[in-house]
Amino acid sequence: MKLQACRSWLSLSLFSIFLFSCVIAQEGDKDAVKEFQDRIDNYLSAKKKKDVVQKPTDSPDKLAQQKQQTAEKSQQARPEAQRGDIFTPVVSAYFKKQIKSTMHGPEGSRVRASLRHAEPLPNVQLKVNAKYPKNLPLQSTPPTLLKNLPPLPRELQYRIVGSALVLYDMSAGLVVDFIPGAVPAA
Amino acid sequence: MKQEKPMKYRNVVLLIAAMAFAITAHLRPAQADPKGVTPQAASASKLDIRIPLQDKSVRFAVIGDSGTGDRAQYEVAQRMEAYRQATKFDFVIMLGDNIYGSHSPKDFVKKFEQPYKPLLDAGVKFYASLGNHDDPDDERLYKPFNMGGERYYAFRKGEAAFFALDSNYMDPRQLSWLDQNLKDSQGTWKICFFHHPLYNDGRHHGPDADLRSQVLPLFQRYGVNAVFSGHEHVYQRIKPENNIYYFVLGNSGKLMTHDFGEARERLKGFDSYQSFMLVEIAGDKLYFQTISRGGETIDSGELPRIHP
Repeated sequence: MKLQACRSWLSLSLFSIFLFSCVIAQEGDKDAVKEFQDRIDNYLSAKKKKDVVQKPTDSPDKLAQQKQQTAEKSQQARPEAQRGDIFTPVVSAYFKKQIKSTMHGPEGSRVRASLRHAEPLPNVQLKVNAKYPKNLPLQSTPPTLLKNLPPLPRELQYRIVGSALVLYDMSAGLVVDFIPGAVPAA
Repeated sequence: MKQEKPMKYRNVVLLIAAMAFAITAHLRPAQADPKGVTPQAASASKLDIRIPLQDKSVRFAVIGDSGTGDRAQYEVAQRMEAYRQATKFDFVIMLGDNIYGSHSPKDFVKKFEQPYKPLLDAGVKFYASLGNHDDPDDERLYKPFNMGGERYYAFRKGEAAFFALDSNYMDPRQLSWLDQNLKDSQGTWKICFFHHPLYNDGRHHGPDADLRSQVLPLFQRYGVNAVFSGHEHVYQRIKPENNIYYFVLGNSGKLMTHDFGEARERLKGFDSYQSFMLVEIAGDKLYFQTISRGGETIDSGELPRIHP
């Protein structure tokens, strides 16, 4: 009887520890997402102060001019920008975990196949607050992966470049931040 | 010296014959079809036209992976203009990779404005979708691409509703937009076009199964009738799946020869030359004709609308 009671007590304790660690992990995830979203909000409000309104036009010259102006203003909005401003260690760890679980989850084979079918990329040097490498074909970001990452405002996108996850500012054509080695080999 | 006189006479006779032909052709009343296509326009250039040119039909051309700026793109564009004069299609859908490589102002001219100048001058509208070689920000704001400043958008032509999607970035926001717009659409034909093919026998890229898992349930739920994609640099007509017709056309500029493996998904494939498509929608039928850079019809047919 005593042994059985002891076993039950042990099982209950282990289950409680498991539940507790799940709750802690969920809380940790919430904190990471909150931190990420706060930093995105800060980025956008700093950028908005210097924003250039981009309008549809018939003129390719005007398009190029608008884009250049937007890029310059956005760069000026955060002259001290560096890697980790948005993807802090806590946020990076959360993103890596989400990507890994997507790629090894039930839909993982489709996501990996999508990444394998992409255009091969040259060796790309990414730099924060610099222009996204010119003439580089886009790796389509698998939709299943996008469903498992925090939503972004319209002007920002997640891009995959090699094994890096890049936060890309579409209107300015700039690399906002990136996590190297975030995407395991497909 | 002895041959000079007969040559002179022959030239005079030829000149008179040409003038007589021109005068009679000018005086003869043209039997115009409802869209203004004259038999002369069709027969003069000896075009092989396999779409029916019906009254009040929706006629358009399709190009994919076109924006190379090289000779092949220009020749396909010239062929399109010849067919436009004969068939009077009034818009073109673009399946992505509209501008390859650099996106400087010069590139917009060389890779789009110049090759398609006769079409643009004739008032033909181009509706672009974005490929993996496109710059989304430049192109969505470029008015001649008619994207209204958006990465994805919808428009209506007669009884057909068109949905241009951005398959580079199918995020939950775009999926929700597609869900709502397909649901609300009153078009009897629903046509989606985007860059990455859902089914594809080409060996270079293959199908995008992850994209398919997200968009296909919506296509089925709301009765999409036809899907056009590019990316693989060949032409393919895919076996209809789930009552939906699929075409892959990624060779209106780029070309990948010997790209086919075993025929699993395709009913017809062509990877020898560049090509473009003509499509006509009339009532419950979709007519199509795929024409090579050299002017050969490589595929054609009529497809009934399967969805109610």
